[in-house]
Amino acid sequence: MATNGNIVSIRNLSKIYAQGEIQVTALDKISLDIAAGEFLTLMGPSGSGKSTLLHILAGIDRPTSGECHVQGIDVTKLNESQLADWRNQNVGFVFQTFNLLPVLTAYENVELPLLLTRLSRSQRRRQVEIALSLVGLADRMKHLPKQLSGGQEQRVAIARALVTDPKLIVADEPTGNLDSHSATEILGVLRSLSQESGKTVIMVTHDPKAAAFGTRTIHLEKGELSK
Amino acid sequence: MTLGAFIIKNALRNKRRATLSILSVAVSLFLLVLLLVALREITLPVEGAGAELRVAVRNKISIANLLPSKQLPIIQKIPGVAAVTPFTWFGGKYKGEQATFAQFAIDPKAMRGVFTELKMDPASYAAFENERDACIIGKITADKYHMKVGDKITLEGPIATIDCKIVGIYAGTPDDRNMLFRQDYLDEAGGLNGQVGMWWLKVDSAQDMPRVIQAIDRAFENTSAEVRAESERAFQLSFISMWGNIKLLVGLICSAVIFTLLLVSASTMSMAVRERFRELAILKAIGFRRRELFVFILAESFGLAAVGALIGVGGAYLLFTYGDVGKMTNGYFPSFEVTSRIIGLSTLVAALLGIVASIMPSIAVAKMSVTEGLKTLD
Repeated sequence: MATNGNIVSIRNLSKIYAQGEIQVTALDKISLDIAAGEFLTLMGPSGSGKSTLLHILAGIDRPTSGECHVQGIDVTKLNESQLADWRNQNVGFVFQTFNLLPVLTAYENVELPLLLTRLSRSQRRRQVEIALSLVGLADRMKHLPKQLSGGQEQRVAIARALVTDPKLIVADEPTGNLDSHSATEILGVLRSLSQESGKTVIMVTHDPKAAAFGTRTIHLEKGELSK
Repeated sequence: MTLGAFIIKNALRNKRRATLSILSVAVSLFLLVLLLVALREITLPVEGAGAELRVAVRNKISIANLLPSKQLPIIQKIPGVAAVTPFTWFGGKYKGEQATFAQFAIDPKAMRGVFTELKMDPASYAAFENERDACIIGKITADKYHMKVGDKITLEGPIATIDCKIVGIYAGTPDDRNMLFRQDYLDEAGGLNGQVGMWWLKVDSAQDMPRVIQAIDRAFENTSAEVRAESERAFQLSFISMWGNIKLLVGLICSAVIFTLLLVSASTMSMAVRERFRELAILKAIGFRRRELFVFILAESFGLAAVGALIGVGGAYLLFTYGDVGKMTNGYFPSFEVTSRIIGLSTLVAALLGIVASIMPSIAVAKMSVTEGLKTLD
C-alpha cells in the first residue's frame, strides 16, 4: 500500500468487544492517516476508544475488521511472534504509570528492549547512555525506580521507548500521574522527539493543555472520529 | 545486564518468599532422600562378607518355634556343609530395660566358620571358646554403652538370668550391634531344654547351596520339628515381609511428600507470576515473545528448585556420608548410604518440580494479551 508520506494509514478500522451476549463497539470504521514526524494527540471521553486505537496501531491489540498500515506493513496481518519482533523494532511505548521494572536500575530498564537485539554489550551501553542523556538522566543510571521522582521515572520510560530508535512512539496518558511541572517537562521531551528527532508521536490524553503540545489533535466519541 | 542476571533479579525480588520456597523444597527433598535411603537400608539384602554361602534354618511353622538340638549332627553330616552353629535369640533386659541390642546364643567354635566376616583379635576368640560365661559385643553397642573387655554384663531373660563377661569387641559384620554368648552356657543356665532358636550354617560353595538346602529340608520331613532352610538373602527378605508392605508404605509417604512439594512450588510460582502480570505485559509490549517469557518463568522455577535440591539433597548426602549415622539412629542403622541412584532420583524430582510448577503460570502468561495485562495496572 502506498504511504504518501504517512507513517500510519488506517482504513475502516473497527473493534467490537463481546461481553457475554452484549457487543460493545469500541471503534467504528475509523479511517485516519498520520504523517511521519507528526505529534498527534488523541482526545475524547472515557470509553471513546482512543486507547483501543492507540493499542491497535501499536500492535498490542487486534481489530475486529479493517486495515492498519504502519510504515507500509499491515500490522493486523502479522502473527503473534512477528508482531513481537515488529513492536521491538518499530514502536516505543510510554504508559501512564511508567511501568518500569522495580528490580532493575534506570540503566537496566532502558537496556531491556536491546536484550532482544544482536547488539554487543558495548553497543547496548552506548545506546542506553544516549537515550538517558536525551531525557536528561545520564546521572541517574544506577538508580532504582523507587529512588526516582515520578517525572524522572517517566523520563526513564521515554528513554526505554527511544532506545531501539523506533519511528513511532505511542504514549497513553503519559502525564496522568505527574504534577504540572513534571508533566510540562515530559510533554516538552515528547515534542522535541517529534520536532528534533523526527519521531512520530501519538499521545492519548484527557488534558487540553497536554494536547496543545501536539501538532494535531483528533477527538473520538463513541468509537468514531468527531473532527 | 544479561538475561540470566535479569532472571536472578526477578527470582530474588521477594527474598523472604524465595527463601521460604527454597527451604520448603530443601526440607522436602531431604525427607525424600531420608526415606529412600532408609527403605534401601531396610530392604537391602546382605551382600558379600560370606553371606552368599550362608544358610538359615528355622522351624517350618514359624521363626518363633524352637528346634531340637539333636538336629545338629544330622545337619553336620550333610555333604557340602562346612560349619553349623545354633543361633538362639535371648531377648534379655539390660539394666532393667529392654536392651536395644539383640542377644544370641551360639557355638563359639562353629561361629568362626559361619560368620567369617566377624573380626576380633585372636585372644578374644580364644577366650570366647574357652570360657563358658564369655560373651562378645558388637562395636556399635560397645561404643554406645561404653562397654569394654573384662566388663560383666547381666541380662534378665524370659527363661533365665545370665551373667556374662565381655571377652571381645567385634566388628566387620553388616550389623555390629549384637551380643553373642555361648549356647552351652544358656543351656546350663536352665535355658531351653535341649532346644535352639535356629541353625545358621555355611556351605562349601555356591554350587552346593541348592542341594544342601533341599537336603536339610528333607532330613527333617515328617518329624516333630520340620524345618525351612533358605539362603541368607531369602531369609532376610522373608523377615522383612513380616513387617508388612513397608515398601508400599514408604512409597506412599514419598508420593505424599512429592505431591505436597509440587503444590507448594506451583502455588509459589503462580503467586510470583500473578503479581508480575503487568510487568510481563510490558515485556510483551516491548517485544518479548511467549517463548522468552516461558523461559523466564521456567528458569526461575527451575532455579528455585535447583537451589532447594542442592541444599536438601546435598545436605542429606553430607550428613549421612560424613555424620555418625550409627549414633544418630541409636545404632539402628549402622550405615546410611546415599547412593548415586538416590541422588539422581531426588534431583530428577527437583527438576520435574521446577518444570511442572512453571506450567500453569506459563499458560496464564501465554494466554494473557498485552492490553489485559496492562489493565491490571489501571
